[in-house]
Amino acid sequence: MIDYLQFVLAPQMITGLSLGVAVVLVALGLTIIFGLLDVINMSHGEFYAVGAYLALSLGAAGISFWLLLVLVPLLMIPIGFAVERGLIQRVFNAPDRHTTTLLLTFGLGLVIEEVLAVIYGPNTQRPPTPIRGAVEVFGVMLPNYRLFLIGFGVAVMGLVALVVYRTRLGAMVRAAAYDRDMAASLGVPVALVFAGAFAFGLALAGLAGVLLAPIYSVFPTMGRDFILLAFTVVIVGGMGSIAGAVVAGLLLTQVQAVSSLFISPVWSDPIVFGIMVVMLMVRPQGLFGRLGRA
Amino acid sequence: MHSHVDAGPAPAGAAGPRRLDRLGLAMRASHLLFGFLALTCLIFAALAWRTGDVFYLRLATEALIFAGLALSVDILLGYTGLLSLGQALYFGLGAYASAVTLKAGYPVSGALGAAFGLSLAASLVGGLIVSRVRGVYFALITFGLAQVAAKAVYNTRELGASDGLIGVPVMPIHLGVATVSSDSPVGFFLFTLAFMAVLYGAVAYLLDTPFGRVLIALKANERRVPYLGYRPERARLAAYVLAAIVAALSGALYPMLRGFVSPELLSFTTSGNAVITVVTGGAGTLVGAFYGSLILTALRSVVGSWTSHHLIVIGLLFMAVVVLFPKGLAGFARSWVEDRFARTGSL
Repeated sequence: MIDYLQFVLAPQMITGLSLGVAVVLVALGLTIIFGLLDVINMSHGEFYAVGAYLALSLGAAGISFWLLLVLVPLLMIPIGFAVERGLIQRVFNAPDRHTTTLLLTFGLGLVIEEVLAVIYGPNTQRPPTPIRGAVEVFGVMLPNYRLFLIGFGVAVMGLVALVVYRTRLGAMVRAAAYDRDMAASLGVPVALVFAGAFAFGLALAGLAGVLLAPIYSVFPTMGRDFILLAFTVVIVGGMGSIAGAVVAGLLLTQVQAVSSLFISPVWSDPIVFGIMVVMLMVRPQGLFGRLGRA
Repeated sequence: MHSHVDAGPAPAGAAGPRRLDRLGLAMRASHLLFGFLALTCLIFAALAWRTGDVFYLRLATEALIFAGLALSVDILLGYTGLLSLGQALYFGLGAYASAVTLKAGYPVSGALGAAFGLSLAASLVGGLIVSRVRGVYFALITFGLAQVAAKAVYNTRELGASDGLIGVPVMPIHLGVATVSSDSPVGFFLFTLAFMAVLYGAVAYLLDTPFGRVLIALKANERRVPYLGYRPERARLAAYVLAAIVAALSGALYPMLRGFVSPELLSFTTSGNAVITVVTGGAGTLVGAFYGSLILTALRSVVGSWTSHHLIVIGLLFMAVVVLFPKGLAGFARSWVEDRFARTGSL
C-alpha cells in the first residue's frame, strides 16, 4: 500500500500537478479575456504554441531559459495588442459578438497553425530540459524541472490574483468587467484595459508554452490538444472566474492523472469532458462567479 | 437579420395568390440561386462527360457531399443562431454507419436508413444535453462531444481504429427508372446532386413552416420566444436533430464515393471546414452552403497546386469574410435577387 502511494500515485499526481499548473495559466488567459471582453478566444491554444516555438528558436539562438521566461511573455504583449485592436475590435459591436468573435479567432488560429507549419515544418521538436536531475522526497523521486514548473506557475498565479484583487490597476479591470459604460464614465480607459487584458491573456498562454515545451513536444497543432482541456477548465470553474480557473484546472488535471492509473489514458479526456457536461447540467454558471462579480 | 424578423407579414388582402413576406421572399431567392447552381452543375457534368474527366467530377461530388454537412451547420448557425463546432460528429457517424452496412452487403437504401436511424437516436441523446445550453456553451459542448467521439473511434479496433474502414464495395443505386453505379463518375455525381437537391428542398420546406419561424425567432431574441407560447428547448432540440440527420445522410454518401472512411471525417478539421464553408458562402441562406463548398473546393485545388499550405489562404479569406462581408457570398447575391423580387413582385 505504501509502495503504491510512493511509487505510483505520488509521481503521477506530481506529473498531473505540473500539467495542471500550465493548464491553469492557459485557462487564466482565456477566462480573463472572456470575463472582460465577453470574447471566446478560439486561437488561444495557437498562442500557447507560438510561445513554445518562440522559446524553441530563441533558445536555439543562445538565449538562456531564465531570460525566456520573461522575454517570451513580453513578446506576446504587442501581438496581443495588435490582434485585439486590429481584429477583435472590428467585430466587437457585431449583433452576435460571441459567435462572430469565436469565428474570427477560429480563423486566426487556423492561419497561425499553418504559419508555424511553414516556418518550422510539421515535425515534432523538443528543446533541452533547462534543469536536470531529480530530488528524493520521502522516497519519491521528483524531477527538478517539474518542481520548478509547479513553484513558478503558482507564483505567477499568486501574482495575477494580487494584481487583479489588490491593486488600482486590478480595480480598473474589475470595474470594466462589471460595467463597461459606467467604468468609462468614471475615467477608466476601457479600450486600453480591454486590449491590455487580451495581451496579458496571450502572455500567460505564451508563458505556458515556454514552460511546457521541454516536457511535452513542440509541434504546430499542439494548441489543439490543449485547448479542449483549457475550455473545460474555464467552463467548470465558471466562465470569467479567476479562482474558478485555478481550482478547476488543478482538480481536473488530478482527475486525469489519477484516473489514468486505473483506465486507459485514452479515456481521460472523455472523463474530464463528462465532468464538464454534468457541471453544465447541474450548475451552468460553474464553480465560481464571473470576474468583476465575485 | 433583424430587419427580416421585424418586417412582419405583407399586407393582407393584396391581389393575386399568397403574397410573400420578407422571409418567404428570401427563401424564394435562395431557391432561384439553388436552381442556378444545379444548372451550372449539370452543364459541368455534361462537359466532364464529353471530355471523359474523372478527377474533377469526383472532386465536385465530394464538394457536394461536404456541402450537405455545411447545410446542416447552417440550420443551426444561420437559422437558430447556434454555432456547432462539432457537426462532423454526425457526418462521421453517417459515414461509418454507411460503410459498415455496405460492407455487410446491404444495399444503398440500407446504408442511408442506418445513417438516418443512428443519427436520429444519437442526436436525441446528444440533444438532451446540448439543447439546454446556448451561445458559447453550445459551441464548446458540440466541440467537446465531437472530440470525444473522434477519440473513441480512433481507438476502436472494430471500426478500423486510426486506419478507418477500407474496401467499401461498389454498389448499384436503384432509382426506379434507372440504376446508377457508385463508381460511375457522372452517374454518382448526378445522383449526389439530386440527393442534395432533395435535402435542400426538405430543409427549406421545414424552415419555411411555423417551426422554422420559431427557430428564426430564437436567433433574433430568445427571451421573447416563451412569451409567444413556444418552448425554446424543444425548438432547439428539433433543430439539432434535423441538422444531425442532414449531416449523417450527407456523410453516408462519402464511403460510396471514396470506398473508405477514416477518423479524419469526425475531426475538428472537418467540423471547422463546414463552419468556414457556411460563413464564406453565407449563413442563413441554405444555398450558401453549396456555393461555399464548391467555391472553396475549387480554391483549395487551385491554391493547393502551388502550395500545401493552402489553409493560410483559406483562413485569411475566412477572416476577411467575417470582418468585411458578414452576409457571405450567397447572402450578398441573395439580397440582390430579393430586391429584384420585391420591386417587380415576381421574377
